[in-house]
Amino acid sequence: MKELLWIRIPLGNEMMTTVRLATGGVCALKGLDIDASEDCKVCVTESLLLLSHAGYAEAFISFKDESGLQVLVGSIGERGKATEAPEDEISAALLSALAEDVCMEKKDGAVASVSFRFA
Amino acid sequence: MGRSLPSPSALPEAMEERELFERYKETGDVALRNQIVEKYLYIAAVIAKKFVGRGVEYDDLYQVAALALIKGVDRFDPAKGIKFSTFITPTVTGEIKNYFRDRSRLVHLPRRVAELRTEIKRAAEELTQENGRTPTAKEIAARLHVTEEEVVSSEEAGVTVSLDRPACDGEGDFYNVLPGYTEREFESFEERDAMRGALSTLTEAERTLVRLRFSEELSQVETAKRMNVSQMYISRLERKVLQKLRAAMQGGTV
Repeated sequence: MKELLWIRIPLGNEMMTTVRLATGGVCALKGLDIDASEDCKVCVTESLLLLSHAGYAEAFISFKDESGLQVLVGSIGERGKATEAPEDEISAALLSALAEDVCMEKKDGAVASVSFRFA
Repeated sequence: MGRSLPSPSALPEAMEERELFERYKETGDVALRNQIVEKYLYIAAVIAKKFVGRGVEYDDLYQVAALALIKGVDRFDPAKGIKFSTFITPTVTGEIKNYFRDRSRLVHLPRRVAELRTEIKRAAEELTQENGRTPTAKEIAARLHVTEEEVVSSEEAGVTVSLDRPACDGEGDFYNVLPGYTEREFESFEERDAMRGALSTLTEAERTLVRLRFSEELSQVETAKRMNVSQMYISRLERKVLQKLRAAMQGGTV
């Protein structure tokens, strides 16, 4: 298992372009095709949205070379006030539809980390 | 027997999701089906937005997503205990991904990137003149109504690299790591020749569609307007054209 990239980011909309570009770079490095790479970007941003809606202000993303590309998106720090987001269910369903081995860990009823894999 | 159902005049907004679908299952009322579709159409919009930036316009993605949603309303079984949004998201996502596959993106994307680069250059010049300084990627994106990511990615795609530059840890140059140039060139000639032959099998309307959709890169809605037909007709014709081209390119019967 080799960590390809680990990044720590504040959870703000203005960071999403940076995250998507970084994700695209890692996918290219891992040799994922264009479709899988775009799907991976969607999964990463959806995971970050879930954490943001859960009330976290910071997160990390870890990309590992493990049976494909293993991604872990986790919260950092204390949880603040959660926001009501009806789209969270769509985000969760979208993750399951696009990635493999999707796993969401909850803390106090709110999503604290999301992991998934692209083969 | 079963519990009593609300009167037909009751607004779907006031009904619980399960109740709404159960009532539709029992009555098959088309008006109610339409109201359900309208209530959940936002899901199609949300999912379509997630797939923007892959060489297909939002309008087209929304159409595909909305159609999938309509079909999904009939298949949804509230008795299974899952929410409609959870049920419909994979269905809509699958339809959008099928649509991408049908669109032969390998041909489409590089052209789009090339066009976007031209637009970026023009917008950058205009903004430099207007503001007296070089614009940021964000400003260019706002001017062109595209995402910042598309601007940055297109710029990356256009970076020229010297073929004499050392490649792969200094072992030789890029000439050495490129695939066989002559072989690729022949392949390209063959592909072009095959494509010319394949296009000759199309009817005039089909050729018009190919020109509008893949050369002028209009959306399905715009193409429908230009050809004076419905968007659904364009969608069906496009699928048929792609099947014909694929078969002709593979040397099969059309």
